[in-house]
Amino acid sequence: MFPQNEHIELHRKRHGQRLDHQERKRKKESREAHERSHKARKMIGLKAKLYHKQRHSEKIQMKKTLKMHEQRKTKQKNDDKTPEGAVPAYLLDREGQSRAKILSNMIKQKRKEKAGKWEVPLPKVRAQGETEVLKVIRTGKRQKKAWKRMVTKVCFVGDNFTRKPPKYERFIRPMGLRFKKAHVTHPELKATFCLPILGVKKNPSSPLYTTLGVITKGTVVEVNVSELGLVTQGGKVIWGKYAQVTNNPENDGCINAVLLV
Amino acid sequence: MALYNFKKIMVVPTSKEFIDITLSKTQRKTPTVVHKHYQIHRIRHFYMRKVKFTQQNYHDRLSQILTDFPKLDDIHPFYADLMNVLYDKDHYKLALGQINIAKNLIDNVSKDYVRLMKYGDSLYRCKQLKRAALGRMCTIMKRQKQSLEYLEQVRQHLSRLPTIDPNTRTLLLCGYPNVGKSSFINKVTRADVEVQPYAFTTKSLFVGHMDYKYLRWQVVDTPGILDHPLEERNTIEMQAITALAHLRSAVLYVMDVSEQCGQTLEQQLELFNNIRPLFANKPLLIVANKCDVKKISELTEEDQKIFADLTAEGISVIETSTLTEEGVMTVKTEACDKLLAHRVDGKMKGKKVHDVLNRLHLAVPAKRDEKARPPFIPEGARIALDVIHVGYVERDLEVEMGDDYILDLQKYWDLMNQDEKYDVIPEIWEGHNIADYIDPDIMKKEEELKVKAGEYETDEESEDEEMQEIRQLAKQIREKRKLKIVCSKDKDVHGPRLPRTVKKVERKTLEKEMGDLGLDMTGKDDSHYAVNARRSRSVGVAKKRKREASVIPTSRTRSQSASRPPRDQSGVRDPKMAKQAKKLMKNQQKDMNRQGKKGEADRHVFDLKPKHLFSGKRKSGTNDHR
Repeated sequence: MFPQNEHIELHRKRHGQRLDHQERKRKKESREAHERSHKARKMIGLKAKLYHKQRHSEKIQMKKTLKMHEQRKTKQKNDDKTPEGAVPAYLLDREGQSRAKILSNMIKQKRKEKAGKWEVPLPKVRAQGETEVLKVIRTGKRQKKAWKRMVTKVCFVGDNFTRKPPKYERFIRPMGLRFKKAHVTHPELKATFCLPILGVKKNPSSPLYTTLGVITKGTVVEVNVSELGLVTQGGKVIWGKYAQVTNNPENDGCINAVLLV
Repeated sequence: MALYNFKKIMVVPTSKEFIDITLSKTQRKTPTVVHKHYQIHRIRHFYMRKVKFTQQNYHDRLSQILTDFPKLDDIHPFYADLMNVLYDKDHYKLALGQINIAKNLIDNVSKDYVRLMKYGDSLYRCKQLKRAALGRMCTIMKRQKQSLEYLEQVRQHLSRLPTIDPNTRTLLLCGYPNVGKSSFINKVTRADVEVQPYAFTTKSLFVGHMDYKYLRWQVVDTPGILDHPLEERNTIEMQAITALAHLRSAVLYVMDVSEQCGQTLEQQLELFNNIRPLFANKPLLIVANKCDVKKISELTEEDQKIFADLTAEGISVIETSTLTEEGVMTVKTEACDKLLAHRVDGKMKGKKVHDVLNRLHLAVPAKRDEKARPPFIPEGARIALDVIHVGYVERDLEVEMGDDYILDLQKYWDLMNQDEKYDVIPEIWEGHNIADYIDPDIMKKEEELKVKAGEYETDEESEDEEMQEIRQLAKQIREKRKLKIVCSKDKDVHGPRLPRTVKKVERKTLEKEMGDLGLDMTGKDDSHYAVNARRSRSVGVAKKRKREASVIPTSRTRSQSASRPPRDQSGVRDPKMAKQAKKLMKNQQKDMNRQGKKGEADRHVFDLKPKHLFSGKRKSGTNDHR
């Protein structure tokens, strides 16, 4: 009936292989180089681009391994034997310095907050004009009135948001473009978390956008970081932090931000 | 309940292949051209189509994987348990669960991005959204790498599992490793299980089929079981335990009497007692194997006692040797009989049997009087029966002689002279076929046979003159016809045969032929054909002609036409040149003939717009021939 379990291996064990098996195998393997080069020369189109890219990375790997094999033959000096943070003997007693540094840091932060100047990853962003961000919506019996505007970028509205009566609302923020979560990266931990947004702090293009909640590249957003479990010096749990948006959310469909520490 | 076919599960691709296939399919099967100046709804539709197409493809393939692989709750518990043993139920379910989650995630991604794309107001934005969507879907698939690899391995192993029907008649072999289970199944069925001297040669279940009493029986060979508690058993032994637990079969517990397997009889008995609970409700048989090395009677007292105890409990012990085949058939018949009885009993106790019993009725004729009438077997039949049962047949001779045996049918010939049995008879001798000369009076005998068979005799005297004349004439006609055929064959005409009407028939030949046939051809000068013959020679004289001035005397026309050479001979010096000219002419015509043209001026094109040149995408290539 049907062959059972390891019938292929059993057959090979009992009957061996073809008389010319080794010969054929050897010839096939030696032909591979020719076939590969033929394929690489004759391929065209998108397939060829992908193939060449993959082949290029393969070749780089091969070269690296070859180099590694060569390197093993020579011995090298290990220069960094001294671990980081190693202090010479005459400095061992100094401890109080670190505490002072933290205190002065806190004072500096408070001063910065008062001034309203922050160090952000993206200091300069392209300003978005009104025609880009707001689209004119025509209303009225003859579609002549043009006082309504629709936001074309991603925006954030709070939890307790209710629309104004449609007759009176000037700015329309469509539901499809309302986002609640952002992918926030911690710059030191190098880990990304999906955190809920608490509000839009500042949009660099215009204060109007800040009040509307429009999120574009460079906007500073406040996010709920209770997931990270950060704690202040005094023992209080930090649950809100600022983050700056680093991508164009309307093009990517998601908000990527970097946490400001 | 879906019907699963383990051998027809679709191949599960690796994650990289999966992504490549789907993306390249999207690129090939959806429109590829879009421009900035198109209307925005057209651009949006173009990109939305791509996102939805990719999602559809992923969804379809993942759904197919999910439906192809069997759900452990839907299949027979034997197979469910076997798969648990082999593939770990939890891992299997998890892998399929991951695939299901991936499918749902991909659907969600597609939905989100299609919704976002409705607000795309430029080609760039829509394109970026499509790129993000496809990228997300492919990332989800990349994460499924491990699950897909595991499922592919499961699929390959599943397709090679033996097809064991859990409901039919089955004999199950179990025992220590190396006791002779695989040799037994090799002897009884056509299964070719590997037999080797090391333990655990059989690493999984094997099935073989055999016939007994016109029914099909399954024989299942299991890997050997060692004696330790259930928790410590490894995968190979667990397969045997699963088979024992789930298959309703007759169990043949194989023991090694000669202790060549490495276990003493006491240890084998221990194992037997340990797995005794698995034999509940199953007809049991003990096979004492390897009896050619050591018989039970040669054993020590204690060992013999073991077997005596087992027999006392009601379990039959049969000595066998798979090497000399002694006792194998007894085991087979006894096990099959026991199982059949057991199954019939089970069916009788059930409810369905009444449906069948209600329809069966054994009619016995009522007794007429007290006289006994037993069945009558004539003497001749009885003797024949005896011969069939007892006689020494050719097969026995073959078995006896072994390799030297030659089939010699001539010894059964019944000749008058018995010495001539082995004489060599040639087929052809002195140019004659011997088959023709079997009997010297063979021709006469043939005649007699024909007469006996009743062949109609030709009654020649009763024919009258008319019939005889007709026969004479017919004979003449036949002869003349043959003569004519021979004559025409001799003529050896090269080229096409012209019909008779083309050639001119001379008056002389006509009159001669007709004269031969018996017609009177004298005095036929003013007959129609003679007058016409004279007339054709002088055309201009008999008729009046209008254009007398331009009339050319026929004789000269004919002579001039005779003097003007035909066109294919004018200007040709010698036959060599003529031949060359003819060759050139034929060459010119070759091309026209091949294309089926009527002549030089035929420029008709049969297929003005062949489909293969006007369809398809504009890949690399020109318009001349694509």
